[in-house]
Amino acid sequence: MSAPATGRSLGLLLCLDCRATVRGVTAARSRCPRCQAHLHERKPHSLVLTTVLVVSAAVLYVPANVLPVMNTRTFFEDEQDTIMSGVLVLLHSGSWPIAMLVFIASIVVPLLKILALGVLLVSAWRRSARHRLQRGALFRMVEFIGRWSMLDIYAISLLATLVQVQSFASVIVGWGAWAFAAVVVLTLLAARTFDERLLWDTPPHD
Amino acid sequence: MPGFASKITGSMKSTAPPLILCPACDLAQRRAAAPARGRAQCARCRAPLQRADDAAIDTAIALAVCALVLLVFSNVYPLVAMHVNGHSRETTLVGAALGLYAQGYDSLAALVFLTTVIAPLVQILTLLYVLLPLWRDRRAFGQNAVLRVLRHVRPWSFMEVFMLGALVALVRLAKFAEISPGIALWSCGLLMLCLSALTSITSTEQLWRWVERSAE
Repeated sequence: MSAPATGRSLGLLLCLDCRATVRGVTAARSRCPRCQAHLHERKPHSLVLTTVLVVSAAVLYVPANVLPVMNTRTFFEDEQDTIMSGVLVLLHSGSWPIAMLVFIASIVVPLLKILALGVLLVSAWRRSARHRLQRGALFRMVEFIGRWSMLDIYAISLLATLVQVQSFASVIVGWGAWAFAAVVVLTLLAARTFDERLLWDTPPHD
Repeated sequence: MPGFASKITGSMKSTAPPLILCPACDLAQRRAAAPARGRAQCARCRAPLQRADDAAIDTAIALAVCALVLLVFSNVYPLVAMHVNGHSRETTLVGAALGLYAQGYDSLAALVFLTTVIAPLVQILTLLYVLLPLWRDRRAFGQNAVLRVLRHVRPWSFMEVFMLGALVALVRLAKFAEISPGIALWSCGLLMLCLSALTSITSTEQLWRWVERSAE
């Protein structure tokens, strides 16, 4: 099979800002004739930036799950909740669909994202040509599910705002919530700095 | 102009369908007519390609105005109220971010504020700023820069995630307090639908198709 005609082989560039297909641009630092955005053949420093972001997210994933995300103070007790114990509270209160939702959005999705981005990065660094279709699909899944992990942050912020009844009960946010939000933002940024096209720049033998 | 030698392929002069590059794998392909069912896919990596069919600019403007009104409602009226032991407390959309700020989590509060208030607002205002002049066949001052802002802000507009988060919070509270939904909860739900419809008909490709048409 001959090499497929790509933008790179034909001397065409895709402007990521306006999606114009630009012909005849070779020099770096050139701009899109339609929207004047800087043109790049691939996103600059894609692999290095994405690696840094994913590694930072993986490091913060530990405090995000170990530290309490909120403390609930009532007359009778002072209860500390991590993300996982929050899921269990929901499960014991009988709302298992909501518990499943939070479990998937807050525990499964961030872990899956870090692992998936890790796999994609290693294969891109090694310029692997295997399973490219599957890896492309994996990246699109990471992009699609990423934002849903913010769910718990919104739930916690509403609880902390509403539950401030003097001397009866109050909810105080914990540093686990900060670490958790940082994991979500870092993985969202990592999915944006990663250039999918790097998966396909390898020689086309599958 | 550094781009003096460059051209955009597929301008109105050529008769062949324009050559497009797959944003996910860089494969060059002719843009075929939209398939009868489903979305167009890249021939090599099967990433979805943008549809060639057209949306009406009037629809986009109507949706943006609608979203703006709903966003104002969502921020003016209370989201939920909680009643427990004779005490009552209510919060607005901005209140959720302010609650975090009050507890000393500035960056977390900024993140919540940005993704639930600022990003939807900027998304709606930039669209209106660009689309209203285009509707009258004019171009807004600084249009390209404004469109660039829109492209970077839009992925951070998390209204639908916030709605689900609010649902989780209400389920947790319902055990030990009486909860009454406010007007803003309903308008947030409608805003979520409005914004996703708006986003789906104002893709980058579609916006620039409107821009090019106004230039003829």
